[in-house]
Amino acid sequence: MSAGKDAALVVIGPPKWSLDPENPVPPEDDAVLLRLGEDGRATAYSGKVEYGQGIRSGFAYAVADELDLPVDSVEVVLGDTRMVPYDRGTTGSASTRTVGLQLRRAAAAARQALIGLAAEEWATDAGGITAEKGEVLEIDGASRSARFAELLEGRTLEIDIPEQIVIKQIDDLNLTADAARRVDAIARVTGTAKYSRDIALPGMLHGKILRPPSYGARLQQVDTTRAEQVPGFVAFVRDGDFAGVVAEREDAAEYALETVRARWEETRVDSSDWSLPGLLKEKAKDLAVLRESGSLDAGFDAADRIFEGVYFVPYVANATMEPCASVAEWDGGHLTVWSGNRAPFTERAGIAQAFGISEDSVDVITAEVGGSFGSKSSTVSYEAARLSQEVGRPVRVAYSREEEFTWSTVRPAALIEIRSGVSSDGEIVAWDYVAYHAGETPFRGRRGADTPYGTANVRIAVANAESPLSSGSYRSLGGAVNHFAREVHIDEIAAGMGIDPVELRSRNLAHPRYRRVLEVAAQKFGWSSRSGSDGKGFGVALGHDVGSYVAQCVELSVSGREVQVERVVAAFDCGLALNPDGVRNQVEGSIMMGIGTALWEAMEFDGGRVLNPGFSRYRVPRITDAPEIEVELVGDPDTPSTGAGEPGIVPVAAAVANAVTDATGTRVDQLPIVPRL
Amino acid sequence: MQLLVNGQAHEVDAGAERTLLSVLRHEVGLTGTKYGCGEGNCGACTVLLDGEATRSCITPVASAAGREITTIEGVEGLADGDGLHPVQEAFARESAFQCAYCTPGFIVSTVALLERNPKPDRKQIRAALSGHICRCGTYPRILKAVETAAELMGGQTGDTA
Ligand code: FES
Ligand code: FES
Repeated sequence: MSAGKDAALVVIGPPKWSLDPENPVPPEDDAVLLRLGEDGRATAYSGKVEYGQGIRSGFAYAVADELDLPVDSVEVVLGDTRMVPYDRGTTGSASTRTVGLQLRRAAAAARQALIGLAAEEWATDAGGITAEKGEVLEIDGASRSARFAELLEGRTLEIDIPEQIVIKQIDDLNLTADAARRVDAIARVTGTAKYSRDIALPGMLHGKILRPPSYGARLQQVDTTRAEQVPGFVAFVRDGDFAGVVAEREDAAEYALETVRARWEETRVDSSDWSLPGLLKEKAKDLAVLRESGSLDAGFDAADRIFEGVYFVPYVANATMEPCASVAEWDGGHLTVWSGNRAPFTERAGIAQAFGISEDSVDVITAEVGGSFGSKSSTVSYEAARLSQEVGRPVRVAYSREEEFTWSTVRPAALIEIRSGVSSDGEIVAWDYVAYHAGETPFRGRRGADTPYGTANVRIAVANAESPLSSGSYRSLGGAVNHFAREVHIDEIAAGMGIDPVELRSRNLAHPRYRRVLEVAAQKFGWSSRSGSDGKGFGVALGHDVGSYVAQCVELSVSGREVQVERVVAAFDCGLALNPDGVRNQVEGSIMMGIGTALWEAMEFDGGRVLNPGFSRYRVPRITDAPEIEVELVGDPDTPSTGAGEPGIVPVAAAVANAVTDATGTRVDQLPIVPRL
Repeated sequence: MQLLVNGQAHEVDAGAERTLLSVLRHEVGLTGTKYGCGEGNCGACTVLLDGEATRSCITPVASAAGREITTIEGVEGLADGDGLHPVQEAFARESAFQCAYCTPGFIVSTVALLERNPKPDRKQIRAALSGHICRCGTYPRILKAVETAAELMGGQTGDTA
C-alpha cells in the first residue's frame, strides 16, 4: 500500500468520480488517492498513464490548486500497479473528467481536514481559517499560521472524501489556468525522461524475437548453430511458434537472430490492400442496426433528389515515435515488467493469465510512453517475460521500426455506403447509413456512425468484417472513419443542390453546440463559397466525439500530386477547458494526424506481409506539411469538461477531402487522397 | 576506441561497424538520444558531430571517434551560464511536445540550425527540421519554439555580434 509509514495525511476513496451522466464511472474499490507527507509534499496516485496528453501535469496543477500548495510540491504517480488504484485503461479521453475530478475532490478533502486540525488546535472556528502555499492561516488577524506538516504532529491520519466536499470554482484554479509549462517539461527537454527502452537493470540481457515471414506462419524447424557462435549469444528460446534469441547486447541479439535458419509453413492468404473494399463487404457479418426511425421508403419517396455514395478508408498505422519495448524480471514466482502501455492493470491481468500465475504475482510499472493513440499492446511484455523466464535474468525486448509497423495493431479499414434523400430546399429527409468496419471485435465502427443532421427517416447500421490485418484502437477509433464518409457525402449533397456547404449543414443542424462550432469556424476562417478548380480549395466538416463538438475549415492548394494544407481553423467545444493550452495542443496534434490519414497514409500488404513497414514507404506528416492552425475554444465554462485528446481528428479527413474536391473538381471518396490524384 | 561525448572521453569496447546510436545508448549509457527508425528517416537519434546535426542510427561509431559528440545530455553545457540551453527553454515554454520522444532530436537539430543561422525564417526552419518526425503532431509549436529560441539567443549574443 502506498500510505507509507511516516506521518502523513492520507486520502482514501474510489479512484474515479464523474458529474457527467453520459460518462458514468464503474464502481471500484477504495484506494489511496493522495498522500500529504510530513515534508509538506503531496503525492497523487492514478492508474492512468501519461503518453503525451499531459495528464501528469494536469493532475499536478489541479491538486496544487485545490490544496493550496506550490505545484513543485506535488508529485503524481501514474500507472504503477504497486502503488496506484485500479484503472481499466487510459482511453476515451476521460482522464480529466473522471480521475482529474476525483483527485481535486481528494485534495479539497485534505485541505478541509487540515483546516479542521488547525481550528481544533487554535480553538477557533474553521470558517475563519484558510490555506495558502502549504500553510493554514487565520483570515482576519493573520495572527496564527502553521505549515501543513506541523499540523500532523507526527500522526498518520486517514480520511475519506466527504460526499458533499466542495471543490473550487474554476475561477479560483489559478495555477491550472496559468499552467504555462508542463511539470514534466524539464525531463523532456533534457533527455532524462525514461521510456521503457531506456530502462536498464543490473544483469539485464537483450532479446530479439524470431518473426515469421507472414502472418499466421507456423515454425517448422530451426537451426541455431551459427547463432550460438556469435559473441555475446546467451540462449535461443523456442516454445511452439514463439522463438527468440537472448544475448548480452542488443546488437549481438540482432546479429545472432539474423544467422538463425528457420523453416516456416506459411498459410497462403491471398488478400491484399488491393482487394480490400470488396473484401470488407464480402466478409461482413452481424449487421447491427444502431438506430432506426420513421420510414426510409416514405422519406425517399418524398425526396426531390437522392444521393448515393460509397466511401473507403484503408488500414492506417498508429506509428508512434517510440516503438514498443519492455523489460521483464522474475524474482522467484514474481514478475515485474517495465513497459509503455495504456492500461497497466489490463496488461498485468493478461500477463498473469499467459503465465498461469495470479495477478498479485505480477507488477507492471509504466515508463514514459512515447505516444499511443490507441496502440501499445502487452505482447512485447509477454515476449520479454517469456525470454526472461527461460534465462533467469532480466531481459529487455525493444522493437525495431519494422517490427512496430508489422506487429502493432492498425486502425481498421472500412467501407461505408450512404444513401440520402433531400428536398428541394436542401432539407435531408431520408438517411440510410451502412458501415462495414474490419475487426475481430463486433461493432468497432459504432462510434460516430450516427448523424447529427436532423431527419425523421433514418437507419444507421454497422457491420464488422473479418480482418486480414490485426486491427486495434486508434485516435477516435471508428469515429474519424465514419465522419469522413458522412461529411464528404454532405458536401456531395451541397454540390448537387447548388447550396453552400456551410449553409447546407446549418439548415440541417438543430443542436446548438453543433451550430456554434460551425458558425465560429466559418466566421474565423472567413468562409466563402468557392468553385475553385484553380488549384486552391476550401473545405469544411464537423463532428462530435467523446462528448465534445468540433468544426474545421481547411484551405489548401493542389498542384499535380502535391497537396499543401495551408490553413486550418478549428472551433472546439469540450465544455469547460481546464487547461486551454493543453486542449489546443491536443487539437493541433489531432489535426496533424488527420492530415496524414487524409493525404498519404495506408498500410500496404499482400499475402500476409506488410509491404511498407518503414517511414520511407509509409508517409507521415512532417514539419513541412504543417499548416497554420488556429484553435478557437468555444466551450461554455459551465458545461462539464468532455474529451480533448481525440475529437479534433474526426472532421479533418473530410474537410481536407472536401477542399481537394473544391480545388480540383474531382470527387474524393477514398483515402488516402494523394496516391489517387 | 575512444569517444569524446559531451566533453568527456569514454573508452568503449565496440565493433567498428556498430552504430553510434547503439554505442551511446548501450555502452556510454546516455539514453536521451532515441531510436525511432534506425534508417535515417525520423531524426529521433540526432546528435551533433563537431557541431553538425547527424543521424547517429546510420553513423558507424568508428567515424565518430576523435570528433566532438554532443548529445541532448550535453546541450545544456553549450549554453552560457547555468541551466537550460535557450533552445530547451523555448521548447519547455511553448510546450512544443506531447510524448516528447521526438524532442531530443528536434532540440539538437535546432541548436545546430541556430548556430549557423541565428535568425531563420519559417521556410528555413521547416527545411532544417524536415528530416524529423513528431507523430504527436506538435509541429506548429515546434516552429514557434524555434523562433522563441532564436529570440532568446539573439538577446544573449546581441552585444558581441
Ligand atoms: S532513429 Fe535515426 S533517423 Fe530515425
Ligand atoms: S511529441 Fe510525441 S512524437 Fe513528438
